[in-house]
Amino acid sequence: MPIWGMVIDLDRCTGCGGCMAACKVENNVQVVPPGEALKGRGMHWLTILSRTEGEYPDVEAVLQPDLCMMCDDAPCTKVCPVHATYRGAYGLVAQIYPRCIGCRYCMAACPYTVKFFNWTAGEEGVNLSSSLNPDVSVRPKGVVEKCTFCYHRLQKAKERVRAEQREIAGGDYVPACVEMCPAKAMTFGDLDDGESPVSRLAASRRASQLLEHLGTEPKVYYLSKRDRNV
Amino acid sequence: MSLKSKQHNLFLFPRWMNAVRPYIAVGMLLAPIYAVALIYYAFSPTTTMARYMPEQPVPYSHALHAGDLGIDCRYCHNTVEYGAAAAIPPTQVCMNCHATIRATSEKLAVVRESFESGMPIPWVRVHDLPDFVFFNHSAHVNRGVGCRSCHGRIDRMDTVYQEERLSMGWCLGCHRDPDPNIRPVASITDMTWEAPGDAARFGAKLREEKQIQPSEDCSVCHR
Repeated sequence: MPIWGMVIDLDRCTGCGGCMAACKVENNVQVVPPGEALKGRGMHWLTILSRTEGEYPDVEAVLQPDLCMMCDDAPCTKVCPVHATYRGAYGLVAQIYPRCIGCRYCMAACPYTVKFFNWTAGEEGVNLSSSLNPDVSVRPKGVVEKCTFCYHRLQKAKERVRAEQREIAGGDYVPACVEMCPAKAMTFGDLDDGESPVSRLAASRRASQLLEHLGTEPKVYYLSKRDRNV
Repeated sequence: MSLKSKQHNLFLFPRWMNAVRPYIAVGMLLAPIYAVALIYYAFSPTTTMARYMPEQPVPYSHALHAGDLGIDCRYCHNTVEYGAAAAIPPTQVCMNCHATIRATSEKLAVVRESFESGMPIPWVRVHDLPDFVFFNHSAHVNRGVGCRSCHGRIDRMDTVYQEERLSMGWCLGCHRDPDPNIRPVASITDMTWEAPGDAARFGAKLREEKQIQPSEDCSVCHR
């Protein structure tokens, strides 16, 4: 069984925001009205963190796509009182919306702040009803949601490989953000397979994980010359 | 009144409680009845939609077409082996036969109208799962879960109704013990198929052969 993981090459990433848009459309992530967004209730399963480094004229923008890290030792799963979030098959951290009671403990526990609470359920936002993806449920008000590595795509891939009578392998599916990335900065695949592109990149000298020292064992790796002084 | 007696009064029920006492007794008697009624209602067909039998725009009889005439389910519901949904057939499928058979029947007026206008027949959905549940027909059919296991004896229904509760507990019941409901894939649409001998033992053998492992992972259906 593959262990899905992702490598994001920050040296290739241009910060265009294509992954953000792809994710939002693919997963029916609601468009939060501006007033609510100002209160910090905006919702993007995948955000691009940005900061600037250096003094003028040697200023550099550092852009970093930030999504659920699918931690092997996820802090959010330990605090959930109703087993709505857990480390499931393929090492993916699942979030079961009908089970969630909206206590937001997981949001507090997540060191990457990639879990989001539905404050409005889109009733005041932009009506997307005619462009919703039928493979993904629309979350109600009062539950926590997060990136699922496009689990619905994995489900489809599982059915496809079953019809082809073979086992699912690393290249059988990619999430919407990876498919979208025009700079080919994102790589997705099986971390369990040492020969896969994703595990090779994850083993490179440029690779690092976000907040490695917390021991959450994230399955999203970042490649950067900057931090590693390669 | 002294301070002492005032404090003492704090720990006593006020005098008007005497009047309320009989009502509390009645409430305590009614509470278990209410609880029983609530649970009964929650599991009753009204809530689970079992036996839900809406009136359809066309008096189409599965008992006639699938039962007496013996048309295979997949003639109309043709995507059931390949997709998540078992397709509701377009009007053209009806007209394959009814262009010549009973071409002037009064009962088929809606079908002919739909065929001419190109607008689909407004069939009423019978088996409707909640929006947060994702069921895949192909996943079940290709592993040998027959139509009858969930839909009942469609070949005997003049108007289709929901046979089972379709609740999560009902789904999980089969996912935990699928053996009695597994049959050879060749006879999934056969309404009269019976396992040779013990159904559970026969199903267990098929499950071993095909390595069927029903998932109990939440995110398989909820995503």
